[in-house]
Amino acid sequence: MKTTFKEEEKNFVMYFEGRLDTAASAEVEKSMAPLYECSGHDIVLDCTALEYISSSGLRLFLGLLKAAKPKGSHVYLRNMNEDLRQVFAMTGFINLFEFI
Amino acid sequence: MRYQNHLTLPNDVQEVPQLNAFVDEVCEAAGLDMSTTMKINLAIEEAVVNVMNYAYPNGKGDVDIDAQINDEHLKFVISDSGTPFDPTVKAEVDTTLSAEQRSIGGLGIHLIRQIMDTINYERVDNKNLLTLSKNITKK
Repeated sequence: MKTTFKEEEKNFVMYFEGRLDTAASAEVEKSMAPLYECSGHDIVLDCTALEYISSSGLRLFLGLLKAAKPKGSHVYLRNMNEDLRQVFAMTGFINLFEFI
Repeated sequence: MRYQNHLTLPNDVQEVPQLNAFVDEVCEAAGLDMSTTMKINLAIEEAVVNVMNYAYPNGKGDVDIDAQINDEHLKFVISDSGTPFDPTVKAEVDTTLSAEQRSIGGLGIHLIRQIMDTINYERVDNKNLLTLSKNITKK
């Protein structure tokens, strides 16, 4: 699992590559720390190369959303594949995030 | 029975990639497509991680995963000799709540329920046995 943080046109963008399983989640949680300093920025979680997510990864996405919303920042999930979208649908998370 | 396989893991979530490789192998033997394989991986990871995190509060222990395939079902039996715990009695999560109201608790068992066709818990000989099965009959 690899993550890359970039600032693109005022947006905070994080690229996720690989499998966000329980084993990877602690490391990914640390790498997501800069996203929490998002006042004045929207957040894009780029899922183009994300292959898998389990509830430990969903917990990280939800935690970020809960922190970003009160600051007025949007959290967009970009380019998520259909299988992972189904996981978001099963959990109702599909209604919480904005998909682009 | 046309296939069976077994994996034993210590209660360490860093072993999850090994579990994923095992489940991939079982699903391939069952002739499942990649999309179904990913979801079964998710259900089994949730069940096994639950054991790793909660069954042995005082230290180390193992979790056993037995996989069986027959003509109609793919069945996983996940067992441990830790604290008695029946995950099937966990309350259903409300997936209609807003982000502010949602908590992460219960998501694992919810995903297992969504993905697998039957879930059964038994306590036998001081072991927790969780049986998850999926109907694989071609429609």
